[in-house]
Amino acid sequence: MIWVWIALAPILGGLVYGGERVLRARMQRRLGPPFLQPFYDMFKLLDKRTLIVHAPHALLAVAHFFALWFSVAAIFLGWNLLYIVFLHLIAQMLLILAGYSVRSAYSHLGANRELLMLVAYEPILILVAVGLYLVSGSFEITGMIQKGNYLAQLPLLFAALLMIVPIKVKKSPFDVGEAHQEIVGGVEIEYSGVFYEFLYMSRFLEYLFIYSFVFIFGGESVWLGAVLVAGVFLLVNLVDNATARVRTPQMIKIIYMAAMPLAVLNLVWILL
Amino acid sequence: MLLTLILLPIATAFLILYSSTRIQYLLSAAVLGVGSFLSVSLFMSTERVSFHLPFLLNAMIIAADLVLLIYFLVQGKKFNSPKVIVLAAAQLLLYIYAEYAAPSGRSAEIVVDELSRFMFLIINIVGGIIVLYSVRYMEDESVEPYKKRHFIAAMLLFLSVMNAIVCANSLLLFFFLFEMTTLASYQLIAFRNDEISRANALRALWMNQIGGVVILAGTLVAALVLDTVMLDTLLQHSGGMLLFSVALLSMAALVKGASIPFDGWLLGAMVAPTPVSAMLHSATMVKIAPYLILKLAPVLGTTLLGGVLSITGALVFVAAAYLALSRSIFKEILGYSTVALLGLMMALAAIGTKESMMLSMVLMLFHALSKALLFLAAGVLEKQYHLKSIEEMSALVHRAPKTVGFIVLGFVSLTLPPFGLFMGKLFAITSVASLLRERPLLLIVLVSMIIGSTLLVLLYFKVSSALLSNPSDTVRTEKERIPQGFSIPLVLLSLLILFAAVGFIVIQHDVLLALFTLPLLFVFALPSMIRSMEHYDRTAIYHCGEKESFDAALVYYEPSVRIKGMIYWGFGILFVAVAFVGVLS
Repeated sequence: MIWVWIALAPILGGLVYGGERVLRARMQRRLGPPFLQPFYDMFKLLDKRTLIVHAPHALLAVAHFFALWFSVAAIFLGWNLLYIVFLHLIAQMLLILAGYSVRSAYSHLGANRELLMLVAYEPILILVAVGLYLVSGSFEITGMIQKGNYLAQLPLLFAALLMIVPIKVKKSPFDVGEAHQEIVGGVEIEYSGVFYEFLYMSRFLEYLFIYSFVFIFGGESVWLGAVLVAGVFLLVNLVDNATARVRTPQMIKIIYMAAMPLAVLNLVWILL
Repeated sequence: MLLTLILLPIATAFLILYSSTRIQYLLSAAVLGVGSFLSVSLFMSTERVSFHLPFLLNAMIIAADLVLLIYFLVQGKKFNSPKVIVLAAAQLLLYIYAEYAAPSGRSAEIVVDELSRFMFLIINIVGGIIVLYSVRYMEDESVEPYKKRHFIAAMLLFLSVMNAIVCANSLLLFFFLFEMTTLASYQLIAFRNDEISRANALRALWMNQIGGVVILAGTLVAALVLDTVMLDTLLQHSGGMLLFSVALLSMAALVKGASIPFDGWLLGAMVAPTPVSAMLHSATMVKIAPYLILKLAPVLGTTLLGGVLSITGALVFVAAAYLALSRSIFKEILGYSTVALLGLMMALAAIGTKESMMLSMVLMLFHALSKALLFLAAGVLEKQYHLKSIEEMSALVHRAPKTVGFIVLGFVSLTLPPFGLFMGKLFAITSVASLLRERPLLLIVLVSMIIGSTLLVLLYFKVSSALLSNPSDTVRTEKERIPQGFSIPLVLLSLLILFAAVGFIVIQHDVLLALFTLPLLFVFALPSMIRSMEHYDRTAIYHCGEKESFDAALVYYEPSVRIKGMIYWGFGILFVAVAFVGVLS
């Protein structure tokens, strides 16, 4: 059964993404695209003539997609959370190397931003893993979701996680990775056709990846986890509609000055 | 076998002085082969070897030590450096007093234990490869032929000094060899003999002499209060002034490891020829720092001193990684990242649990391999393309795909799975996290480790961003040829990195970890996959209507003068605090 879910992960993510676009549109009193728009996009992209810049560049996008899929699969299978964070790191580095591997200013700018985003959220993800480990006594997700009550013990850590969710799903105020007014397509700019589709689907997987972290905070209660995910999903989109984009250095500063102390403070609190 | 390890490089050094280039290649390859074989077979055996030095040899060492210190004094006078003079004079006085106060040895001066055998592996294999490389490197250096031969001979002599220092049990012998490495540093940094080299060499000299002074002070405390100058007997003592003596010795480690505020000497050392940077200033000599802390770790354990040392190391890891972000000279970036990783190794060693000490050793090995590879590749860039700053390296992959390949492999092996250094950091996070409940102070180490690793990822991939950036396939690429004298050491190191990484994962017996090796498959399958992509049409790059030519933008972070001052003062205070904590506990 679990393998079926893993196989369907990109589609599942696509549904989340489509749903989010509708939700955001409704918040802005627009009608928005159809719910299945991501899949219509897919058919359109597959139909296009594919142009590539050079082969390694195109292949890195495919590798990025599969590495990301792999880390989402590892979450579904309930493996070691720390390993999962680093599997995700591999996936991100493949994307960043892809961005750097072409001689395009926008691609470089986009990859620079992806790298800086990584610098912002990576420590928090690891601290979340460590915090969950300290409470549950296990780095395995299967072990973590057998205990409950993370929210009571790790509220500040959860707040820190909340602050990095917008970075991962590229939502305001931390949507520097997607600022098309500044960097056009960013890392994605030199892709087209089927290879762009891989990058597009990677975005769906990112949703599953980061919201899984939120879900784990629900602990043994699946319902609490689901409520948390739904609540965070709403909140992130609300904030996205209500705030303006900050600059990249500001983003890093905010994460290091606010989210990091929160996370560390929480760890100090449960250790003492 | 041990004697061969020490004597063989010395003998070869003398032979090299009178041989042609071809013979030099043969001799250095022979040293590499024999040294690697001996160190591997020594590593396999488990017995603890220890022996006394004959009286005559001891007397010779004392004489040599006095000559060495007087030489430093003369150099200080010659180049008019008051710091060198004062420190050399202080060492001379302390040394004479320490020899006078030292109780006659009851235990052996030379002890080969597990740690020494491990260090032999690093020193002889990585060091041997670097010597082989330096033969080719010297061919392109514009100095007189006899100086080239002297250079290679000096590298070989240095190998035997390193082999000796890791099995020295007598603190006075250790001091002598420590000063010998300082001498090697001083001489080799000044090799090019211009104004900057001279100034940097003098700075390296006086900073390292501080290390010498604290070793002598530690030895004196040990000799006067605890009545021994042998490391193994010293570490069996407890209470009293033991921790003070240990604190002084570990301060020497901080100096040798170029921890902030002593990072200046290592950065300055980067003006030396690249094999020197590879051998002394990243792969072997600076490893004395974590080595010394590992030696002392059994008594550090849960003491406050151990805590302060591990926190200092961990903070150095973050601070040095941060400071490296403002640099643009390739070798300086490598130098700062060496300072950072040495800090991490010292932090793990000072935690003092069995696991963390093992991880510190793992980091040492993999760091030596990766950094040697990076420095040797930097040497190729310098000799073949005359490049030093990363600003000039834009789109280098187009001109030098192989060299860039080695550099990116080096970066990846320092930061990403499945390579050993990453694995070491991963296990270190798990290991420190499991200790947090008993020792909450280690939270500082954990957080620094996490932030520092991320900063290093930023640093290395920022540099790769300049190197990569290939034009579209519509532009023709030319082939690159690396001379064999350069490519053989580079390939050897790359293979070692790969095999050691896979081996390290295999011995963990963890199926999940083995999955981390999957990206390697991707890399190996890349050529055939690239061939299968031929039917896709190629396009030029989209410039959004702009006409300007492309210029890769590099990210720099320069701390303001005030913050930089605060960092240096903070670490200076921590350095002194180590001694205070030693006295108090």
